[in-house]
Amino acid sequence: MNTNFIPATAVIREIIRENDTISTFRLELINKRVPFSFRSGQFCMLSVPHCGEAAISISSAPNALPLFDLSIRNAGELTNAMHQMKAGEQVGIRGPFGTPFPMADFANSDMLFVAGGIGLAPLKSVIDHCLFQSGLEADAVANITLLYGSRSPSEVAFTTAISSWKEQGIDCRLTVDAGDDSWHANVGLVTELLQKELITKNTKSLICGPPVMIRFVIARLTEMGCASHDIFTTLERHMKCGMGTCGHCHLDGKLVCVDGPVFSLEQLQTMDVMELGT
Amino acid sequence: MTNSIEELGSADVLLVTGSNTTETHPQIGRNILEAVDGGAKLIVIDPRRTDLAKEAHIHLNLRPGTDIALINCMMRIILDEDLADDLFISMRTENFIPLRDYLHRLDLDELSATTGIELKKIHEAACIYARSSKSVICYCLGVTQHSCGTDNVQAVANLAMLTGNVEKKHSGVDPLRGQNNVQGACDMAALPAVLPGYQAITDSAIRDRFQAVWKREIPAVPGLSLTEMTHSGKDGAIRAMFIMGENPLISDPHLSRVQETFENLDFLAVSDIFLTETAQHAHVVFPAASFAEKRGTITNSERRVQLCRQAIPPIANCRPDSEIIMELGKRLDCPGMDFESSDEIMEEISLLTPIYGGMHYDRLEQSHGLQWPCWNRDHEGTEFLHKYYFTRGKGQFTITRHQEPAERPDRTYPYTLVTGRGSYHHYHTATMTRNSKRLVREYPEALLEINAQDAKTLQLQDGEKVELLSRRGKVRITITITDRVQPGTVFSSFHFFEVPINQLTTSVMDPKSKCPEFKVCSVNLQKVKHD
Amino acid sequence: MIDLQEMILEKDRLIPLLRKLKKESRLIAPVTNKHGDTLLSEINNIDRDTIDLDRQPQNSLKSFFLPQQEILAHYSVDTTGYNFTAPEAAKETIYFGVRSCDLTALLYMDLIFSKPAKDASYYDRRNRSVIITLGCNDPFANCFCEATNSGPYLDYGYDLQFIDLGSSYYVAAGRRKGADLLNKWDYFFRTVEEEDQKIRYQLFLEARGRFNRNIQVSHACHKLQEEEVAETIWEKLAGRCYDCGGCAYVCPTCTCFSVDDMAIDDSHGTRIRSWDACTSSGFTRMAGNHNPTDRTRHALKQRFLHKLKYDYQKHGKASCTGCGRCVDICFGGVDITTFIEMFTRDAS
Repeated sequence: MNTNFIPATAVIREIIRENDTISTFRLELINKRVPFSFRSGQFCMLSVPHCGEAAISISSAPNALPLFDLSIRNAGELTNAMHQMKAGEQVGIRGPFGTPFPMADFANSDMLFVAGGIGLAPLKSVIDHCLFQSGLEADAVANITLLYGSRSPSEVAFTTAISSWKEQGIDCRLTVDAGDDSWHANVGLVTELLQKELITKNTKSLICGPPVMIRFVIARLTEMGCASHDIFTTLERHMKCGMGTCGHCHLDGKLVCVDGPVFSLEQLQTMDVMELGT
Repeated sequence: MTNSIEELGSADVLLVTGSNTTETHPQIGRNILEAVDGGAKLIVIDPRRTDLAKEAHIHLNLRPGTDIALINCMMRIILDEDLADDLFISMRTENFIPLRDYLHRLDLDELSATTGIELKKIHEAACIYARSSKSVICYCLGVTQHSCGTDNVQAVANLAMLTGNVEKKHSGVDPLRGQNNVQGACDMAALPAVLPGYQAITDSAIRDRFQAVWKREIPAVPGLSLTEMTHSGKDGAIRAMFIMGENPLISDPHLSRVQETFENLDFLAVSDIFLTETAQHAHVVFPAASFAEKRGTITNSERRVQLCRQAIPPIANCRPDSEIIMELGKRLDCPGMDFESSDEIMEEISLLTPIYGGMHYDRLEQSHGLQWPCWNRDHEGTEFLHKYYFTRGKGQFTITRHQEPAERPDRTYPYTLVTGRGSYHHYHTATMTRNSKRLVREYPEALLEINAQDAKTLQLQDGEKVELLSRRGKVRITITITDRVQPGTVFSSFHFFEVPINQLTTSVMDPKSKCPEFKVCSVNLQKVKHD
Repeated sequence: MIDLQEMILEKDRLIPLLRKLKKESRLIAPVTNKHGDTLLSEINNIDRDTIDLDRQPQNSLKSFFLPQQEILAHYSVDTTGYNFTAPEAAKETIYFGVRSCDLTALLYMDLIFSKPAKDASYYDRRNRSVIITLGCNDPFANCFCEATNSGPYLDYGYDLQFIDLGSSYYVAAGRRKGADLLNKWDYFFRTVEEEDQKIRYQLFLEARGRFNRNIQVSHACHKLQEEEVAETIWEKLAGRCYDCGGCAYVCPTCTCFSVDDMAIDDSHGTRIRSWDACTSSGFTRMAGNHNPTDRTRHALKQRFLHKLKYDYQKHGKASCTGCGRCVDICFGGVDITTFIEMFTRDAS
């Protein structure tokens, strides 16, 4: 009788290899009980046969439905099994869950995206959504800048999306921790790309990446005068239900699965959060 | 244990040595903490700063393998401070004078230097222990798993007798048993030199009693100890083995020798509840029933024989150990292998084993167990041992002298490796606990504890993999930087078959107990070069 | 139909009444088994399984509404695809002899499993349940329900509440289902006299005075709203927590759980929900060994703050019901009463 925990079945339509460890799985639901819709920043509980479930953020924009993307890094039992799967095979999906980014607040803003590694996945949904809206010229954002850090040139992911964004006029700046002969862009931490000229009064910053990166980017943005209600991040936590009952994603009295995963810095500052180093 | 577990809660002083009680015996740890919360003084002797050591009023963090020096030092201080119990010594003990004279010849500063603990701390601990008449000593494998394990125990016994802290409630010497039923296994003579109830196999009158019931001749010569068997070697005498519920290919010291022994076997049969690493080498495996699938008794540390009731029928083809033994016995033409139930087996035990004389299932049914010795149906069992007299009559003092462990750190192997249980989450070779998802989640991999100072010298980061080498082998293991271990000492468990830590340990054993020196061997650590 | 809200049941009529109730649904009540353990368990034979109302059941209602292990779904992976099916529906069940603290805990679980969406299997069981409580005239050794506002008698939440008056029970209906039972079986009961009221009131006053323990729960809740707990307290508690999860398992309001797949064979399996505990380090650990909580210092922080601070903020009431079970179970002596005593005593 527990319909909350019964996943819908989705078919893998396409697999896009982003780098050695990250792939994007393009899915379509085939037996959904209710119409499936989501907003940028939300996540799904993904079931892989015999491996249970994991929370994965949706990396495509809502306008791409009925297709939607989950970009997954091969990091554990479930994600490893997912990486063995082929197009045409089936997975389970529950959701969407969580509080999305407040897209309406971003109208006419300058958008600054700062991402590290797989952290670009949830932001990719926002970027694609912004581009889709600017095509419609309603509620469009002003300028879009992306700062994207990877550990090495071979680990740079989402290259197809990034070239397409560049063509559409997005200022994409890439950096790697350690370069090699093939690398002609920046070398160094992503925080080093955060220059004063990128910040206007009108800037909304969206950050996602490893906890240490989030901490330093927030510190730098604050230093450059960004207001805490203009900085947003999306947190990763261990989750089992997605619906605010299992308790695993507890965060100082809140639950990341329902109160987040998207938080403004203003909200985070009132809490005891690993990403802020408190 | 000479005491009952509950008595610990009301002791005034608890001296815990070589035991990580809160992690390995949480139920007993609970009683110790209860005593501490009630105002008792806790002294912990352990090279590691365990959670219990953190609760201690005095933590004597000795250099591994220097227990005798430490106890001798404490005894000498007790004599100097005139805190010995002269009345007890004269009434209940013998051979005190030679020990006294020996202690008087010792140099306190030298002993303190040997242990690596400052004399003031030892002095304080000795006085606290001796001044109370409700002092208890708990010890575990940190005392026995040494090449001088028997002497370590004797030293502990000397200390207790010197201060009269035995033979009464709330004071005594309590070895904490490891496995839930290791006490029962020893009681039932899963030991080389005795028949059930610690009756000497060399005594012909005792052999006659058993022969009359078993209808088979009982050898008059003791058999081999565990390590002697598993280390019998490439051309050893052992050609066949039947192993029940033991995983020596992971748990025994100096594993390469054990492997040689197993390669030499013509036949190996293993009975276990899971397919252990040892069972994987067997010609025949008997799937055994777990505790929940059978009826029988379990005897715990405080000698309490408790009835364990069957909760579920055996799963699939599993059978209780007793049935496996009986079926084997029948096929080997052994008479009397037709016990109807564990109840009937207990009837024979109570007939042949005086200390179990009053253990009857109907009595066990109606109680939370009975503590041996329990001589007959009217006897209510024994709360603490040695009331009025020691088992052998008078308690004997024996001089124990410090002896260095078999291996000392040197230039090639500059660190001392101590092994033991690593966490609450895994038990022994983890054949059971690694089948639980939750326990694996909590403690997923083997860890080597190392002090921050050593990690800095070796330029190691927390969570990094290192190669750990001894004269006998090497393993690759993840390090965890912690103040639980002192500089120069590293610690790991033997829970993980992927990291068979016993490749490294020595096969040197105590000459009397044949217990291997699991607690001390010399090792080196090497950074693993990234591939 | 008369609306029967409060009635008297002579003790001789209890078993005959339960016998009738059991014909229509499953009956759960406290039973002391032959090993001496008192457990809320299913009554199969009302004459043989003696109901024991004198001892506190070791289990709470939790295990009946959020089982220790529960099948959430069966799944299959075959040529037809990857499909999930729901488990079978719950049975109608009457719970008799439930203590006030345990019903209060169930009311709390009703909240937890209703937002943002109703947990289907929890509510399936809850909607098919009738809860008959027994007010506590003589609190057990570790109880402190008066301090948590969850006993010894209750004002609401029960379907029926029994109060032991000596030779009879004072029975009150608190919800529709309880009133329906009183109506349906009205011939077992007699009406309430003034004398019954007096005895009930007197017993209530006496019960309130019988608690062994005086735990400053509301003081702790207020103080937590205003100040941080000293790190030294958390560290002291963490050093004594041995990660056994016992407190969370016996706690009637600890509802954290895990979900795991158990493969039966290559193409079938079950998805299982099982109890979990926030005191474990694996509870929050993520891939790559990132852990937002530090067990060595904060093993018990979430557990105590959740009950006494966060739930007080959200629901206006702590989610500890004073049942005292964790006091018995904790190896390290660091149950919630230890924390409250340390925190409220702390001069800072």
